Amino acid sequence: MEKVMSSNTVSHLSQAEKKQQRLEILYKILPVISVLLLISLWLFASKDYNPKIGSGFPTPAATWERAVKLFTRPVKKMNLIMHALISLRRIGFALAFNWTFGIAFGILIGWYAKPKAFFSPMFDAFRAVPPLAWIPLITLWFGIGEFPKILIVIFGSLASIVVNVRAGLSTVDVMYLNVGSVFNATPMQTLIKIAIPSSLDAIFAGVRTSTSAAWMVVLAAEMLGADSGVGFLISRGMDSIDMPLVLTGMIAIGIVGAILAILTQLAERLICPWTRKSK
Amino acid sequence: MSESPNVMTNEERVAYVQIKRKQTQFRDSMLAVSGIVFFFLLWEAIVLTGWVDSKKLCSVLEVFKLFILKFTDPNPDGAVLLVNVWSSLLIALSGFGLAIAIGIPLGWLMGWYKGFDAFMRPIFEIIRPIPPVSWIPLSIVWMGIGLKAKSFIVFFAAFVPCLINSYTGIRQTKEVLKNVGKTFGASNFTVFWKVGIPSSLTMTFAGIKVAIGNAWATLVAAEMLAASSGLGYMILMGRSYGRVDLVILGIVVIGVLGVLISAIITKFEDLLMGWKKL
Repeated sequence: MEKVMSSNTVSHLSQAEKKQQRLEILYKILPVISVLLLISLWLFASKDYNPKIGSGFPTPAATWERAVKLFTRPVKKMNLIMHALISLRRIGFALAFNWTFGIAFGILIGWYAKPKAFFSPMFDAFRAVPPLAWIPLITLWFGIGEFPKILIVIFGSLASIVVNVRAGLSTVDVMYLNVGSVFNATPMQTLIKIAIPSSLDAIFAGVRTSTSAAWMVVLAAEMLGADSGVGFLISRGMDSIDMPLVLTGMIAIGIVGAILAILTQLAERLICPWTRKSK
Repeated sequence: MSESPNVMTNEERVAYVQIKRKQTQFRDSMLAVSGIVFFFLLWEAIVLTGWVDSKKLCSVLEVFKLFILKFTDPNPDGAVLLVNVWSSLLIALSGFGLAIAIGIPLGWLMGWYKGFDAFMRPIFEIIRPIPPVSWIPLSIVWMGIGLKAKSFIVFFAAFVPCLINSYTGIRQTKEVLKNVGKTFGASNFTVFWKVGIPSSLTMTFAGIKVAIGNAWATLVAAEMLAASSGLGYMILMGRSYGRVDLVILGIVVIGVLGVLISAIITKFEDLLMGWKKL
């Protein structure tokens, strides 16, 4: 005990505090170990990868080479970035529609009693169908051009935003509404000045989930029939047994998805800072 | 309505409010019914007037007829309806069950033990942003196009909400409750088991509900890309044969089954957590 006290720079700390400090260091090291473990797992899984016939799981090096090759020898005259941008453009159009129409519709069926009773059963039936199940029907109706793809994304991410907006507006704190009526607010004022601000966090939750839903749906739509976009890269890789291309596509999708999630979170913090969880 | 509420006695006022409430309920259910009727009438009207091509939309009755016929007739996709339903349910429930069995305990452990969290979190955060659908090619390479590959994809879709919700649920355990446990001399594990887990159950069940929705939605994609039976396959076959009635029937059956499954889970939740109603 004495020895430790004299030799250590943190000698003023008690036993428990030292233990705490050791644990903190351990918590810093563990993430590094786990990432290394994941990489070595990948290396292990790809040990009998044969690039000639494309059998087995591709190595990280092969994946990296494939990603670089995608820039020098583009697929369908487009490199990785351009494919990603095309997918992003599709969800951009769809989300622009959903955020305007979806929020308006959510307010309509969340706030007004009569439209709520009239539209809710229809909307709930629509919502019960998984987004991807619409794909065959929409391609049957509109073919496989650009518009049906955007429509698929609209169908796929509309429900999540409407549900959130509806929930937010139908659970406004009664006290806030009472304050409004004490101050003689008109119905319009009650909606715009009280109900909508107080459900902004629910609306933003809808924006977040609809963004990630849209990203997933555009991928599936592109995998089922397209000649551009990151989903197309994956299905192209699958068709030509080019597994490094599949992995490149997956990683690109993961990165873009993560960026989208971070961006919507940042937007939420900027627009409604009070929703940030207090620790 | 006409008389002012001031002159009513208390009993009259109660009766008045009750009548008023009944009237609102009646009005709302009438509106709900008329909404549905309006939808079907619009559908039939579009078909009857020939406003859209009959190859693109068929009447409600035709879908219903096909529904009856599909119980015995395997054409055109090669399986009767119940076989398709069974094969879809098998995939969805096996993947979903696996996700619950692995995801929820993992979330609890990560939420409670910091070391475990520090270890697992990076792996989880790397895998999470990759949508389950994009695992399809890899899982086909690994496991063929059988039940295993599809369950794996469904598992991925259901796993993430299970883990996230049980994780946040147990992180939100009230400090007071934990301290009570410690005061009575419970070990960390006992507090985890007897306090942490029960108090996280509400959130966990919310996660399970999200998970079953995801599982069911991903199933369709899995079956469209690689299958030889199942509801997603049936829809896809309807699409390639240009049979719009089959496509619509498939969509309706998937929707109804999805609603049924989540209703069963809600029932189960009520059974397990009777204290919530108090």
